[in-house]
Amino acid sequence: MKTAAQICWRLGRTLVLLALVAVGTILLMRFAPGYFSDSREMDAKYAQREQTELHQEEATSGTFAQLAKSTFGGWLHGDLGSSRQYGVPVTELVGPRLHVTVMLLLRGLVFGWALAVCTAFPVSLWRNGQTLAGMPFTLLLAIPTGAMATLCLLADMGGPVLVLSLLLAARDFKFLQRVFQSAWTAPHLLQARAQGMRFHRLAVAHLLPNVVPHILGLATLSIVTALSAIVPIEVIFNVPGLGQLAWSAAMNRDLPVLLTITLLMAAAVSCAGMIAPRERMVQTA
Amino acid sequence: MRFGLRHITAFVAMMFGLAAACQMPKSPGELAWAIRYDPKTFDPAKVDEQASEEVRFLTGGVLIRLNRKTQQPEPELAASWTVAPDGRMISFRLRSGLRFSDGSPLTSKDVVWSLRRVLDPATAAPVADEFLTAQEVKVEAPDALTIKVHLPKRVIGIENVFDEIAIEPAERPSEGKVTSGPFTVVDYKRGQYVRLGRNANYWRRDTAGAKLPYLTGIRLDVLNNREREISSFQRGEYDLIDGLPPDYFGLLQKKNPSAVLDLGASLNTEEMWFNQASSAPLPDYEKAWFQNRAFRVAVSQAIHRADLARIAYAGHATPAYDFVSPANRVWHNDGLRFPHEDVAAAAQLLAGAGFHRNESLLVDAGGHVVKFSILTNAGNAARMKIATLIQQDLAAIGMQVTVVALDFPALIERLMHKQDYEACLLGLSNVEPDPNTQMNVWLSSSPNHQWNPSEKTPATPWEAQIDKLMQEQGTTLLQKNRKLAFDQVQQIVADQQPFIYLVYPNTLYALSPSLVGVQPSVFQPGLIWNIANVRRQGTK
Amino acid sequence: MKRRVSVVVLALMVAAACVIVRLPGASYSAQNREAIMLGATTHYWAGTDDVGRDRGVRVAAAVLLGLGGAAAAAAVTTAIAAGIGTLAGFSTPGLASALMLASDLFLSLPWLFLLMMVRSFLPLTTSPLHSAVVTFTILAALGWPACARAVYRGTLNLRSSEWMIQGRASGLRQTQLMRRHVLPHLLPLLIPQFLICVPAFIVAEANLGTLGLGVAPPLPSWGAMLLELDNSASLATSHWVYLPVVVLVLVLLLLESLTVEV
Repeated sequence: MKTAAQICWRLGRTLVLLALVAVGTILLMRFAPGYFSDSREMDAKYAQREQTELHQEEATSGTFAQLAKSTFGGWLHGDLGSSRQYGVPVTELVGPRLHVTVMLLLRGLVFGWALAVCTAFPVSLWRNGQTLAGMPFTLLLAIPTGAMATLCLLADMGGPVLVLSLLLAARDFKFLQRVFQSAWTAPHLLQARAQGMRFHRLAVAHLLPNVVPHILGLATLSIVTALSAIVPIEVIFNVPGLGQLAWSAAMNRDLPVLLTITLLMAAAVSCAGMIAPRERMVQTA
Repeated sequence: MRFGLRHITAFVAMMFGLAAACQMPKSPGELAWAIRYDPKTFDPAKVDEQASEEVRFLTGGVLIRLNRKTQQPEPELAASWTVAPDGRMISFRLRSGLRFSDGSPLTSKDVVWSLRRVLDPATAAPVADEFLTAQEVKVEAPDALTIKVHLPKRVIGIENVFDEIAIEPAERPSEGKVTSGPFTVVDYKRGQYVRLGRNANYWRRDTAGAKLPYLTGIRLDVLNNREREISSFQRGEYDLIDGLPPDYFGLLQKKNPSAVLDLGASLNTEEMWFNQASSAPLPDYEKAWFQNRAFRVAVSQAIHRADLARIAYAGHATPAYDFVSPANRVWHNDGLRFPHEDVAAAAQLLAGAGFHRNESLLVDAGGHVVKFSILTNAGNAARMKIATLIQQDLAAIGMQVTVVALDFPALIERLMHKQDYEACLLGLSNVEPDPNTQMNVWLSSSPNHQWNPSEKTPATPWEAQIDKLMQEQGTTLLQKNRKLAFDQVQQIVADQQPFIYLVYPNTLYALSPSLVGVQPSVFQPGLIWNIANVRRQGTK
Repeated sequence: MKRRVSVVVLALMVAAACVIVRLPGASYSAQNREAIMLGATTHYWAGTDDVGRDRGVRVAAAVLLGLGGAAAAAAVTTAIAAGIGTLAGFSTPGLASALMLASDLFLSLPWLFLLMMVRSFLPLTTSPLHSAVVTFTILAALGWPACARAVYRGTLNLRSSEWMIQGRASGLRQTQLMRRHVLPHLLPLLIPQFLICVPAFIVAEANLGTLGLGVAPPLPSWGAMLLELDNSASLATSHWVYLPVVVLVLVLLLLESLTVEV
């Protein structure tokens, strides 16, 4: 009963979020400069035609009310609309790319986290030289994604998954290093070590339980970082995924496509936020 | 959880296995290169941007093809044609034995159907505009090999228009899958590639009688990333790059000097102009500056174009003073008189117009500091460098310039819809040399009359003069008289400087040395205009 | 001891940058068009860039501008995240879920268009410095949601710990509890967030240059110098193009060692 209520509540919350995101996106895109402009207007050969088309569009579906009505009305009929730049149904564009992006995200998250945990744990055991040990990850934070991509290309090694994993690992490492460190210096752990407990048992029985809630909390942050990093990575590496489509939709003011992708990402963010560990007392002594 | 060596190697292998983006392997008879974005349409009648134009060029069979080297029209599907003396009737004679790629015969019926479809207002074909009065054009086929086109109004250079009309099977438009050109569209994956296959029924043969095209296919990858394009070219995955950026030219030249080509000045120009629209949301004193000829000429004289060419284009550009590039040999005004670079003369001109120097600042007669912004589009490194160089050049005569880079849609909205800008720096891409294609830029009533769009009546006598001369060259029969009128337009523009021309970027290509038969030209599509004759060394 | 050393080194770097920028004859915008893409010479210790400007002076000016702007923006954004996260943690479930809904909303909306709108409201002749200030302010205002939820979770976890219960039992007010006891425990979460935001904002400012915001020429932009590294043609010209990256890594390491003992 309680779980059913919880599920209903979470579903409701997600729907409210999606509705607000939809309204916000329509407002932002419609009133940002350049909605009724197209680069073909600058080409003297095609300009006249292009301008007539745009004026017609502005007259029939130009106001926010008209846009909102056609968008929400279409959704109620299961129609996600038609792309403004390609003229094909949005489902046709988004469908094949969903799989690519989801796989890229999953692989990036798994490898990034694996790398971060495997390096943060040993580093946290050292007493000195923490900053220097974390230098490779500081370097990764300082290099923009584009430069990393070019270096991968020049070295002829690595691709979007590698860059995404490194990006996530660099960020996660910074958090995890401190989490492990503070867990390692907890008083009850010191006492257990003093009493001669083996490292293995220390880690499994005492360290992990204190660290897991923090890690789950960081998971949300990580997923959100991955979602926002997906767009530049897909654009730079030319991966045929949702991020690349979102970027071209934003640059070409393709509202139906961008709206669909934004809602997918909002749903993902909402689900990520629901990774809720059981509230438990922080063990101190 | 135990991490054994097994797990680690599998992990690493997976990481690297997901390495390079999937690029399909190429067969030896296939050529591959990159296009910037997906073609918006494969229907040859509806083409209105560059990527679909390229696909149409490679797949569509046309009656007349313009030879990009000699600039003369050549017979393609039409064995011969005649234009009536009054220019109101063209008669084509088709070659015999023509077939479409699916084997069906190509006769005058298909030509008439294709032409009528293009002229039909319901199709909304952009090329129909070139006929001036498309609805009144009549097409008829007296017999299976003859087509007569009746034009109500004479069109100068009408043969060139047929270079853009693809002949498709009557009643069966196939969006490029069944064509009469050298290739057909075989496969298309949105956002990834377009694959073209050889048309085995293409009419053309080489001098030895072998069937053309030599190539078995072409793959056009949709790729908007310069770095990947360059590295793919270096690895041999792409065979050519059209429009190589100047900084990469140097890089490729060092590695392989025979793979890069600089054909000298292209037809394109980079220019700067001031907003002279009286309806612009600018203060009156700024409008007064921009509408003042002395101000514009002074700005033009203060800019060091040689530096722009040398620094922003790494030497791969030519200083420009005229909107017609010297590469356009037929129409370039060789005797043009234009204001040369002279900072002292610029300062004098400004002093004469009522401006004076207040330490390092220039101040107008009303006491306002001369400060304005130059708008340009983001993402073009050479243009940003030009803007930065101009900033310093104009600071030498006391003008304070800010550079604002916007994304294209926002830029166009400011330029064309709201006229909310002060100065703009952009490039104009001229695909065709004939002045008629530039009517929309020079007619004062046109929305593309950039410095003062859609004027109800010409705002100045010289703009009225340009209108008159452009109409004249559009209707005169004699080439000599057309050239005279157009030369005068060039002179007026050089005197008044509504556009301040900066450089002609050079035509830069990268071409795999293993290709035979390519004849690079500055006219688009420069490397593939004779694609049927291109082959790779070692294949036949 | 270590912390003091880091503070001194950081202060020295900032002082050195100020000195370099103020040297007579030093200018970050003067173009020497005969000296394009030079390597290190006696006059130009770090060479010149692609339009002949002194790279050393430009990097120094960029460091001052970028460090000031990005560090301030990162601090503000972390503070906002901390504020909203703790507020949500200490309030009723209704208010908390409303705040987290707002946080998710903020995360999902395409702010690109808001930035374009901001640019269209700013006058075109806005000075490069004003444009930079506006950019960093916007970044500070938009960067908080990602961390807010993690702070909220952390606060929830801490709220039920024994020493918190004892604190409440002793009569400490909510604000005192938040300031003196909860925030120090949240520092392991907030400090890495701050350290990550600094380079992220430096690069984001340069990316906003494509929308007309960011630091406009001739002011040097640290982010733009970093973004130049994505061009293999410029990487091939001179090793001094790596100077901005090296300085950034150094600054980040110093900032980190300032906080490592916390």
